[in-house]
Amino acid sequence: MKRRTFLRLAALAIIGIGATFIHRSTAPLGLFTFSRWQARGLKKRFFGAPSIVALGECSNYKEDLLANLRSLWDRSEIPDVQGKRVLIKPNLVDYLENYPVTTAPEMVGAVADLLFELGAREVAVGDGSAFRRETWPIAEANGLAAVLAARGLKFIDLNYDDPQPVPVQDKWLRRSTVFWLPRHVLNSDLIVSLPKLKTHHWAGVSLSLKNLLGVIPGARYGWPKNIIHINGIPQSILGIYQMLPPVISVVDGIIGMEGDGPLFGSPVPHGLLAVGRDPVSVDVTCAQLMGFSIESVLHLKLAAWAGIGQAHRIEIRGVQRERLQRRYQPPPSELKRY
Amino acid sequence: MKSSAVSFLISTQNPDGGWGYAAQQSSAVEPTSAVLLALRENLSCAQSCRRAIDWLRGAQHLDGGWGFSSRDDESAWQTAWPVLALARSGEASRVLNQAVKWLLDVKTVQFGEDAMQASKKISTVDLSLRGWPWLPGEASWVEPTALAMLALESVPGIAATDRLNEALRYIQDRRCPGGGWNVGSPVMFASALPALVNTTAWVLLALFKLAPGSILFEDFEILRTAMHRDGGVLGLAWGLLALKTLGKYDTLAEGRLAGLQHKDGGWANNPYKTAAAIMAFRGYL
Repeated sequence: MKRRTFLRLAALAIIGIGATFIHRSTAPLGLFTFSRWQARGLKKRFFGAPSIVALGECSNYKEDLLANLRSLWDRSEIPDVQGKRVLIKPNLVDYLENYPVTTAPEMVGAVADLLFELGAREVAVGDGSAFRRETWPIAEANGLAAVLAARGLKFIDLNYDDPQPVPVQDKWLRRSTVFWLPRHVLNSDLIVSLPKLKTHHWAGVSLSLKNLLGVIPGARYGWPKNIIHINGIPQSILGIYQMLPPVISVVDGIIGMEGDGPLFGSPVPHGLLAVGRDPVSVDVTCAQLMGFSIESVLHLKLAAWAGIGQAHRIEIRGVQRERLQRRYQPPPSELKRY
Repeated sequence: MKSSAVSFLISTQNPDGGWGYAAQQSSAVEPTSAVLLALRENLSCAQSCRRAIDWLRGAQHLDGGWGFSSRDDESAWQTAWPVLALARSGEASRVLNQAVKWLLDVKTVQFGEDAMQASKKISTVDLSLRGWPWLPGEASWVEPTALAMLALESVPGIAATDRLNEALRYIQDRRCPGGGWNVGSPVMFASALPALVNTTAWVLLALFKLAPGSILFEDFEILRTAMHRDGGVLGLAWGLLALKTLGKYDTLAEGRLAGLQHKDGGWANNPYKTAAAIMAFRGYL
């Protein structure tokens, strides 16, 4: 074989192998979508506007939470809520005595007070438990019911909230062309994702993005919402996030959870409050404050790669990161990653 | 109490004949089936039941199954509910035969050997055992398994012994260490998961029909504890129903459930919960 022929064949082989590699790497999405998302991610990373995350320090739930939150809200330049219908989405995944599983009810009350103070037209609180057929008993057990009653706030069990089919807007949710979501979620102008800062044995961390999976209606998808495991938890988190009305994040990290989260982990007196208008920025910041990198939390890594939210150019306001930096014990399934 | 609850149900029936999970919510398969079960013996409700049956028949898919509502194209776990309700109402066999076929044919996720080994370590369960999933292609879970077992048992003359026996082995495999059932695995990463009232109640109702000898004393006790710990309408109702079906009583739970009834006769403005409460006081499905 002549040298020139050999070189031509070698070049063809390299092109063929490269094309196969690209095809396999991008197969679930297709080359066009893959390239578009990657380009969006690079653009956000290098040219995107910085996103603000306001951090606060608060040692317990008896402090003036409203004043703390008001300050963080202003610092993080949250858009005007005047006249808006707002749904507060705390984490009510389950209630287990002596485990800090749920968002503290005091936090829910303080956020609701702040929203009314800022002129919100309607404020409701809702979640859909992952395991129990009714969410209200969890709200009663953790003290949220009393907080709501004192303010005359409506509670919506999102598992049964007249779910409506919504067209799936991208390829993160692969199973179907529609996804069913609760009526109050779809009718809200704004959702405040109000998670408990926790580790999570499947997702790595449970913060404001993971918290949004509680909107999946059990009456359609069952308990737990197994569709997220079949579809992939990171992909489900990002797919559902993108189908919702605008979401802002308020993270309850006053007492966090480490180790075997989201249910059986140990409490961490962290004293952290975080507020921001971009849940990706807030969750990246909080994960880092727990001692976890973006790369170790797949849904954050994917969000950063695909340019869903701002994962890199984050402007911290309020308390300095160093004061709030901790090293959480990772969840059991994630130990190998750290 | 019962008559006002029945009035609540009659007054909340949608014009299309079904019921939603709240008054004025669009009709859905599970609440409509539950209300039909609750009202089916009440002669004064015959017309209402007929309209409910018609709605259910109209919502059945060509594949024989049902989804969340008549607008939902995907057949899923809800299929067990109309089978149970229509069979107990003495309804048409063709509709039921198609639904039974769907239940018997529905696929669960296939796990590889690696997943099976990992699962043994993480959650101590045998993933090769098949129950029923919430949605086709998913893993098996306790509640849809118990519902499907009850549904199949309620249809006379079907040959499903192998499938039901496998489901029974699945149910045994998922029993929590102290009795009762969580949603699926009884253990996760060395933490014992607590028995939940709804799943445990449905399993006991299914076992009572299919394998009463396999019910353990601790299953009753944990059901009672979980029922009072939960304290919700559904928890109390399904827990009481299971206990009464098995010949056990809990007057405290009855009192708690009665105390949650609203002045309008319903429970939480919710036809599904109200139907569950009626069946709990009645003592059978």
